[in-house]
Amino acid sequence: MNPKKLLALTKAGIMESLQFRLGTFVTLFANLIYLVLVYYLWKAIYASAGTDRVGGMTFTDTMIYLILATALFNFLEMFVVWDMSRSIQSGKIILDLLKPMRFRTYTFWSYSGSHVVSFLLTFIPTFIVVMIVTKGAIHMGLNLLWFALATIFALIINFNIEMLVATVCLYTESTWGINIVKETIVLLLSGASIPVAFFPETFRRIVEYLPFRAIYDIPLRILLEKSGTDTLQGLLPLYSLQLVWILLLIIAGNLFWNSSVKKITVNGG
Amino acid sequence: MEQKKRGFRFYADIYKKILIQDLKSKMSYRADFIISTFGMIMTNLAGFVTFLILFKNFPSINGWDYYHMLFLYGFSLVALTPVQCFFDNNWNLRFMVQSGDFIKYCFRPVNVFFYFMSEVFDVKGLGQLAFGVGTLCYAWYHIGIPVTVLTILKLILFLITASLFMIAIMNAAAATCFWITGSGYVMVIMFRFKDFAKYPASIFSGIFRVVFTFIIPIAFVAYYPSLVLLEPANVPLLSWLSPLIGLLFFYLSYKFWMLGVKKYDFTGS
Repeated sequence: MNPKKLLALTKAGIMESLQFRLGTFVTLFANLIYLVLVYYLWKAIYASAGTDRVGGMTFTDTMIYLILATALFNFLEMFVVWDMSRSIQSGKIILDLLKPMRFRTYTFWSYSGSHVVSFLLTFIPTFIVVMIVTKGAIHMGLNLLWFALATIFALIINFNIEMLVATVCLYTESTWGINIVKETIVLLLSGASIPVAFFPETFRRIVEYLPFRAIYDIPLRILLEKSGTDTLQGLLPLYSLQLVWILLLIIAGNLFWNSSVKKITVNGG
Repeated sequence: MEQKKRGFRFYADIYKKILIQDLKSKMSYRADFIISTFGMIMTNLAGFVTFLILFKNFPSINGWDYYHMLFLYGFSLVALTPVQCFFDNNWNLRFMVQSGDFIKYCFRPVNVFFYFMSEVFDVKGLGQLAFGVGTLCYAWYHIGIPVTVLTILKLILFLITASLFMIAIMNAAAATCFWITGSGYVMVIMFRFKDFAKYPASIFSGIFRVVFTFIIPIAFVAYYPSLVLLEPANVPLLSWLSPLIGLLFFYLSYKFWMLGVKKYDFTGS
């Protein structure tokens, strides 16, 4: 695949999302309010707990974890499911399918631009604010690099889950329902609404092998240097888990998509 | 003000007619209906699981024990039902305004706000209602609040009160689309803040207490109204005043929404 073509899609995506600058800033502002809510809530929770370490997480850890999970959520958020159902309804999907590029590749790269913009305009500023509020509780070292790598893997996993779910929508004609089921499962099992470290033992064991946790929990754990991720031995199993899921999801997604795409019926086609 | 004279019966009659049309059209997408209901139940279950995990790690929050928190949780779920059932069309507002379809509402000889909202009744909200009522009864029984005519009346009055605040928030958030194109994110953000309604607002202090009470009034979605039942011995003044404040918020959001309609009238041609 010609990288120039792909980068052109990224560029178009960047320009498109810069059209909605205001949205980016409102999201950033909302993240800050969210930060306040999370701060007060967990401060009260930890104050009632009596100990400063629960499930291996301190108050600061939990706060950084949850706020950056929200920031990651905004950054990784894709509307593949919605966009696909809309382009099926309008028939636009035919034009995309006819493009001289594989549909999955095309979709991935056309979203990449908005990821770049939201990373720079919402994730980085939120990260800086968290740094200031917690007075530098995030260790600045190699962990940032490992975090970035894990986030890229997370992005790919997230995209593949989105594509799988969007493909399901080709059959059901239900977008809202399928989307909410996906979102609920991902948010709960990935640790975005409550850190995975707090899950009860057996439940956590199961969750740790699922792909959802690879989206939020693994990058954040690496960033916070939890569970031995400051050593290579600690990092490798996490990366392998991410890579195995990427591989499985790409294979499953491709098979499912290729067999489903033949079934698309578009009105007035 | 010709509309005022038509009175309640006229509007109730219209509402019934539009509602039946809406339900009929929903029934034709049966799979979507079933999946959406399932999705709604999943969301509530996930919220409940998060709640359980939280209490497994922390015995109480800010002096609120498990059953009191459960009461707040159930209360907030019931209070969030009306906005889900009756005002769900707010989510479509931005598409209609953008595409110009909104103009059709302006040409009918009924109140625009009423007509627009009456078009959608979201049946899924009923699942949430059932879930909320169940939780509320369970917590009510365990706390041992006496069941008298007075407490039941109080419960109903303050549940209605609480629901007004969320309706007001969502109306105002939706109405921003009259001024800002594609302002869906404002709604998404506000909708996310509602997750914090189920925690006691006493966790906030200083300026943020004011912000979350009077500017983004999530403290009124469950905390203040439910204190009337949970702490009958010392109910804060704000709890008693909440019905009036709720009406005021609702009225202001309605005025803001209608201001948007007026603005739309002038620009749309």
